[in-house]
Amino acid sequence: MSKEPSTSKEKRKNSRKDEGSKILKVFTLYEYLTKLPEAVQDRLYTHPPTCLTVFRVLPDIAQQFTLRILFIEQPVPQSVLSSWVPVNYSSELDESIEVATNLHIWKLASVTGGLKGWILNSTFKKKLKVALMGGGRSTVSNSDAIADPKARDIDFLDAYAYERWECILHYMVGSKHEGISSDAVRVLLNAGLMVRDTDDSPVITSTGFQFLLLDMATQVWYFMLRYMETVESRGLDLASCLTFLFQIHLGTLGWDYITDEMSENLQAFLQHLREFGLVYQRKRKAGRFYPTRLVIEMGQGNSRTSERMKNKERYIIVETNFRIYALTDSDLKVALVALFTHMLYRFPNMAAGILTRDSVRTALRSGITAAQIVKFLTVHTHPQMQEGGMPQTVIDQIYLWENERNRLRFTDGVLYSNINTPNDYETIKNYAAEIGALVWSDEKRRNIVVSTDGHDDVRKFWKKQPKSDLF
Amino acid sequence: MVHVSKGTLITCDQSMKQFLLQLDQTNALGKKFILQELDEEHLFVSSDVLETLEDRVDELMDQLTFTQN
Repeated sequence: MSKEPSTSKEKRKNSRKDEGSKILKVFTLYEYLTKLPEAVQDRLYTHPPTCLTVFRVLPDIAQQFTLRILFIEQPVPQSVLSSWVPVNYSSELDESIEVATNLHIWKLASVTGGLKGWILNSTFKKKLKVALMGGGRSTVSNSDAIADPKARDIDFLDAYAYERWECILHYMVGSKHEGISSDAVRVLLNAGLMVRDTDDSPVITSTGFQFLLLDMATQVWYFMLRYMETVESRGLDLASCLTFLFQIHLGTLGWDYITDEMSENLQAFLQHLREFGLVYQRKRKAGRFYPTRLVIEMGQGNSRTSERMKNKERYIIVETNFRIYALTDSDLKVALVALFTHMLYRFPNMAAGILTRDSVRTALRSGITAAQIVKFLTVHTHPQMQEGGMPQTVIDQIYLWENERNRLRFTDGVLYSNINTPNDYETIKNYAAEIGALVWSDEKRRNIVVSTDGHDDVRKFWKKQPKSDLF
Repeated sequence: MVHVSKGTLITCDQSMKQFLLQLDQTNALGKKFILQELDEEHLFVSSDVLETLEDRVDELMDQLTFTQN
């Protein structure tokens, strides 16, 4: 094969990446944990609150069984375990087993008689008991002994947290250029939410655009996951940062926690969290901190956000004539709507715009998908619109605009044509299907397309066939 | 003798296919790019024209769209 096609293919791939065919994927806690090395997982399990957090993400059946075998000091035979589940739910059981073994919570051990049985990871077992029954020493303690003379209430914490977080979002849309540290910029760059432009100033990427349209809890979760990837390069320990994060994740909103017993490294980590608005500290040396809603509701979608905040987040009215009204005075919120709307007027307490083919296509080109636009609009519709919901015409039209960009579907591959006999056709087709390389086939004209990766295997296979004509 | 060619499989609707055939026949890209017509909804083309093709389709859609100003 000549070299040219491959380089041009690479170029095409890169250019597509710029166009943003890359869809932002937010990992769940489970997906994230399974990717950690087992050693890190084990260290996480030495910490009761983390065990509880992990326990919470298990599937229902796995939770149930973990509790059932929690106090059994010997392995439980596999057959006993599966007898607890009706046969028609065995796929759920398999899934649960897979999750629990991937997290190294359940282990196989031999029971008498040569059978295999499940037993809980001993550290996890011990620490989960502690977490469930209370007790155990935690890295941070609640400071009910001495009340904070300058205590802060929940409203104050909310306002503070949202202001800090919006600072980061503002920076991303470029509406304000002050105020975020080089550390936060590093996380954004590392997460691929921004890239350095030719003049070295960070600019937003297609992933970044998609990030902006997520709800805040998911944003925080995604951001923290990516932050964790950079933790070790800052000289912090991943396991201890994670345990600390989980601990304050389980904290209570409006309570303050003491920082005295925390190590230097965790103090540094705390300062980062403080900058992102995940915790509030009056000053660096205050000796206590408050977890905010951002960290407590991290990754939980919009489910438990306070009513007051919810109403502030519902600020968009969409009309069937494609007009959009954003009832807000926040530059950021207007900027978000302007990602896919042609803005017409700006008033002190609202902005009006219109969805046009061009404005939506600009958004699509920068990598936002129609589904993300529709989701964003639906989540943020004004309370007055909640009954009727988004006008169906508008939703459909946004999808149509997206579809007209995808009239052609491309699959790289290798075409086999001129196959002599139906027999040969069947042999090649079946083998290609077996190794998962078959892309397309047509029996009438005996054409087969296999994936580029599978081509070599198919060729080798075909050469080994008796009486085959070579290709 | 089995004939092997590397390229890209395009899956599209019939009208799009006709548009691509027309581009090929009129040499609109300066060369022939269709390696083989497979059936009503599939074409096998050389991989280096895909970007140009997408642009052409975009242009076509722009011509077909009425916008009020």
